[in-house]
Amino acid sequence: MSRYLITGATTPIGESLIRHLLRDDATARILAVGAEPYRPRAVEVDGRVRYERVDLTRERNLRELLFGACRTEGVEVIVDMASHRSVRSTGQKARALNVLETRRLLALAEEHPTIRRFVYRSYAEVHDVSAALPVLIDEAHPLNLRPDAPQWIRDRVEADLTVCTRMAMSDLSIAVLRCAECLAPRTGSQLHDYLDSRVCFRPMGYDPVVNLISDDDLGRALALAARSDADGIFTIPGATTLPLSEIVRRSGRTSIPVPGPAMAPLYAARRAALRSNFDYSLNRGRLHFGVVLSGDRAAELLGYRPEVSVTFPYD
Amino acid sequence: MPSLKKRLLGLALGPRLRRRVETLEELQGDGYDPFGAHVSGTRVGLASTRFLYELYFRVDSEGIEHLPASGPVVVAANHGGMLPFDAAMLHTDIARRSDPPRLPRTVADRFVPKLPFVSTFFARGGVISGTRGNVERVLASGQVLVVFPEGTVGIGKPSSERYRLQTWRGGHAELAMRYRAPVVPAAIVGPDEQWPMLARLDGVNLFGAPFLPVPATPLPLPVRYRIRYGEPLALHEMFDGDLRDPEVIRAAAAAVKARVQAMIDETVETRPGLYR
Repeated sequence: MSRYLITGATTPIGESLIRHLLRDDATARILAVGAEPYRPRAVEVDGRVRYERVDLTRERNLRELLFGACRTEGVEVIVDMASHRSVRSTGQKARALNVLETRRLLALAEEHPTIRRFVYRSYAEVHDVSAALPVLIDEAHPLNLRPDAPQWIRDRVEADLTVCTRMAMSDLSIAVLRCAECLAPRTGSQLHDYLDSRVCFRPMGYDPVVNLISDDDLGRALALAARSDADGIFTIPGATTLPLSEIVRRSGRTSIPVPGPAMAPLYAARRAALRSNFDYSLNRGRLHFGVVLSGDRAAELLGYRPEVSVTFPYD
Repeated sequence: MPSLKKRLLGLALGPRLRRRVETLEELQGDGYDPFGAHVSGTRVGLASTRFLYELYFRVDSEGIEHLPASGPVVVAANHGGMLPFDAAMLHTDIARRSDPPRLPRTVADRFVPKLPFVSTFFARGGVISGTRGNVERVLASGQVLVVFPEGTVGIGKPSSERYRLQTWRGGHAELAMRYRAPVVPAAIVGPDEQWPMLARLDGVNLFGAPFLPVPATPLPLPVRYRIRYGEPLALHEMFDGDLRDPEVIRAAAAAVKARVQAMIDETVETRPGLYR
């Protein structure tokens, strides 16, 4: 397969994916789509990339994209990464991009004459985290289906499951990549938002390990999945596994342990006062219990193994 | 120049144990494993248990040569003593005396990760939470899994039941057969008499613990610990049946239980005294 449609292409992960696809001479065309007016840098330097600014929340736009530009370019693979990054994006408008866009895109792709594969970028955060669950998460790990979970989580779980349910019913080849957290700006990383402030509060007495993926590894994993025929769910780990305190230290921040019950009000006050993006209720589990993705299936079927460690300012 | 913390730990370990720690550190590498274990945890763990191991419980250990030099292995031991000092001493004994050196991965109950400070201290030292996914990963990667099939029932049993094995779960036998890992039975004598329990408050479940023990003495008694390792049992060769059959698993677990009970009885009978 050599012709790709990439949604969410203007994020650092989208740009990394484009870079990895372009390294392959077999790549003939990349149709990069984003909501932003600026274009991925690769558009400027490689004639194989075309950028389209599209509001993917409108069904008409999606239809025009797929049966217009995609048909003209002969797109064979969709890599869907579009979602709202901020936890502050809530309500129907956020859901329209986080969930409905994926559902419509998948439905349209099933009718499409040239599209043969659909790759969905999901998140490690869709998994449930608790003391009673394994630290090492594989594809069969329970999902976070708690009704009181924030919309940011609920939308991601719904979109993930929407794609998963089509796996055995569609003529498309479908892969869902549940990726470790990418500690980069403009990627929706809650940990990035957590480290945005100079002082980071930690639950006293807990220092769980966190698995992080570099944008380079994540782009490579998505590129491997786009080129592969392997169906199913894949957990995509990163090369960096560190305790939270060490991540805070290497980021040049100050870590202050506070009693667990004080965490929620402290971060709620900080969110209200500083308009910060970090939502403690969304991260309560992983600030207490370690979570590391397995990656065995991705290694076996996609040939993906984490290689590039995350670089911190104080490494 | 080593940091002050490292120098203090070096002093606490002493020269012989320091060399041992350096060998274990080479095995571990310098990163954190998925369960949060780190070389610093091994160093701190062995330094902090040295007093208990050498002076307080004066651990007398025999049979460590039965621990295979490599590959997955399950060490199954009895459990007792109100607080799990027996688990700490067995973990320490394997880390200190296995030849070639191997780092044990001791299984703790599922409520342990909820305990502040303790959870982090244990994780750094190599302890894992007892979920199936965790223990499978340890065996799949060829490590030493240390389990207490009695669970918290063992440490909460009354003194009238001392050295009588309680309900013996079968998960370790099934996994040992699945991963073709030998089971080394281990008997620990001493813990069941270390700390008389005045009462157990079953309705108090702090951090998910099954009960709150009320000890009769402020500290455990300085009983002498005797750890005995038996010859490995190749359950996958002894029980040639369907691993999905609960009867096969029960029979395999019963064989391990019988061996551990026999070793406990023999050690209790031949010991010169509780404190000697």
